[in-house]
Amino acid sequence: MTRSGCGLAALGLVSALGAGVDETWQRLVAGDSSRLSLRDDLVPGQRLLVGAVERPLPAIPDPLARFACRNNAMALAALQQIEGPLRSALARHGAARVGVVMGTSTSGVSDAEASIRHVMHHGGHAPAFDYAQLEFGGLAAFVAAYLGAAGPAYTISTACSSGARALASARSLLALGVCDAVVAGGADTLCGLTSNGFWSLQALCEGVTNPCSRNRSGLTLGEGAAVFLVLRGGEGIQLLGVGESSEAHHMSAPEPTGAGAEAAMRGALADAGVDPDAVAYLNLHGTGTPLNDRMECLAVERVFGVALPQSSTKPLVGHTLGAAGALEAAFCWLVLDRREGDALALPPHCWDGVRDPEIPPVHLVEKGELARLRGPACVMTNSFGFGGNNCTLLLGAGA
Amino acid sequence: MRAGAPPARVLRWSAWAPGREAQADWQAWAHAPEALPFEGQAEARFLPPMLRRRCTPLTRIVLSAAFGCLAEAERSAVRSVFASRHGSLNESIELLESIVRGERISPAKFSHTVHNAQAGLFCIATGNCRSSSSIAARTDTFPCGYLEALAQLEREPARPVLYVIGDVPLAPTFAPLVPEPPAAYALALLLAREGTGSALEFGLRDEVAPAERPWPDALEFLRWLLGDEPALALGRFYWTRC
Repeated sequence: MTRSGCGLAALGLVSALGAGVDETWQRLVAGDSSRLSLRDDLVPGQRLLVGAVERPLPAIPDPLARFACRNNAMALAALQQIEGPLRSALARHGAARVGVVMGTSTSGVSDAEASIRHVMHHGGHAPAFDYAQLEFGGLAAFVAAYLGAAGPAYTISTACSSGARALASARSLLALGVCDAVVAGGADTLCGLTSNGFWSLQALCEGVTNPCSRNRSGLTLGEGAAVFLVLRGGEGIQLLGVGESSEAHHMSAPEPTGAGAEAAMRGALADAGVDPDAVAYLNLHGTGTPLNDRMECLAVERVFGVALPQSSTKPLVGHTLGAAGALEAAFCWLVLDRREGDALALPPHCWDGVRDPEIPPVHLVEKGELARLRGPACVMTNSFGFGGNNCTLLLGAGA
Repeated sequence: MRAGAPPARVLRWSAWAPGREAQADWQAWAHAPEALPFEGQAEARFLPPMLRRRCTPLTRIVLSAAFGCLAEAERSAVRSVFASRHGSLNESIELLESIVRGERISPAKFSHTVHNAQAGLFCIATGNCRSSSSIAARTDTFPCGYLEALAQLEREPARPVLYVIGDVPLAPTFAPLVPEPPAAYALALLLAREGTGSALEFGLRDEVAPAERPWPDALEFLRWLLGDEPALALGRFYWTRC
């Protein structure tokens, strides 16, 4: 069986920027960095600026109460935006032909934390807690159960590349012939475990993350979800290429030359059969940590030179970890979806503007900047995770 | 329309359970399967001491099966898929207990609790820079991990993929919430489209009621692989010999 195109047919998303494609796009392209908020309940004694989703999340329906955790509610908020197209796909293909692949790094660990507190204070788990909320497989199982999808349903958890990998696997399940439609994306929620973990690694900055700046000092955490309906066929916005690599270097630090990042970007271009010149925009992993931004820009320079318009959107939404690969693919999807003639509006790179002499002078997108297209639109997004796990996706508009 | 993926071959396998590592041990077990002990650790002597000290019990078990399945030259060359229902959650639970007590957590411990810790450490231990994925799917973890390995074969059909699944018993605070027999095991399969080894078709069909077995799905698959029954069904997933 061969690939006959892989369409990203519908998108639902929620993040600190808002919910749904229109609200998100408006604030994304404006570079609205006012959406971050201060939280003092994540790391003891610390006030952290984070990209929290502050709107109420939908309730998990009663029959699925065992899955009722914030992470699944986050996924549901995205899912419900495209419930129409998803239910049409289920009706058209049959439940058994619809699969689910979701990425997360947290699953419902924030709810497990509350339950552990309950165990330590009362000797038993919180009544509403179920292991399905904590285990990684619970996210995909919840999405499948909510939709009534009966194809394969699994969660990919490769830290910060999880959401990107979920889309890559969705494409493969279609090409293998195992599924006719796949619901794929990612969801992650702010929680004590990741906040304290990144705090202990001294990876969090004070204030808002400042990617690629000489003054960058770490990342800003965030939460959110993005869910796509992925279909076989060459219409609409396509997942054109996937590049994957491992770094074989360190569990929590990137390889400093960017060899792994370079391999992932080159892999995605080769997979799509696309030249570097054809790429109009790159959404950087751009976490704002000293090591990531340097190695990533070194790798970008080797693949593209310095002229390619690029930005990190993490100052707008925070680093949404297991959701980031899907959420940033969603931002790329929006860039393509909102194309006007030969012009692509691009998400700006929001930072203090202070160049780091150790980072190549790559072209960071300014507010209001447009990319002029000479041919089909092609945009790329990078996701690099703990364990040295890299995944780059290349999206494009239909032929 | 076919519901199955193109056939894949099991070029090689390796498994670990307490007291059972050699192929002959598993051949014997497959002929007379019985519940397996779940207490015991893998020594993982092939790992450098520095790295071994940092590995959790699950990582040692999983890497034991992975290394056992591969020739030395293959270790840095294969793409890999790791699956585990519980993964590093025991270590995450310990960290959560520390957080609830208001203690600072260890950065090294935190970075080893990611679900892809085994994938990352496999790549670090072998110098492997190829794609590595890790998945979980509740009671469908074994078949879904197998499918994720097939998805990797789809991306690059000419190169084999290492598929490794493993779990250890869940921490006592959480174990009563999960109705499954405790198990400490790993199974590694080297899968390829071409080569020498059993060619298997895999797909989905109507769900069959899960059989009550005292051993994990992955080892039921191994028992079937080493026998001569034509088909295996695990939930709504099936394998047949080509």
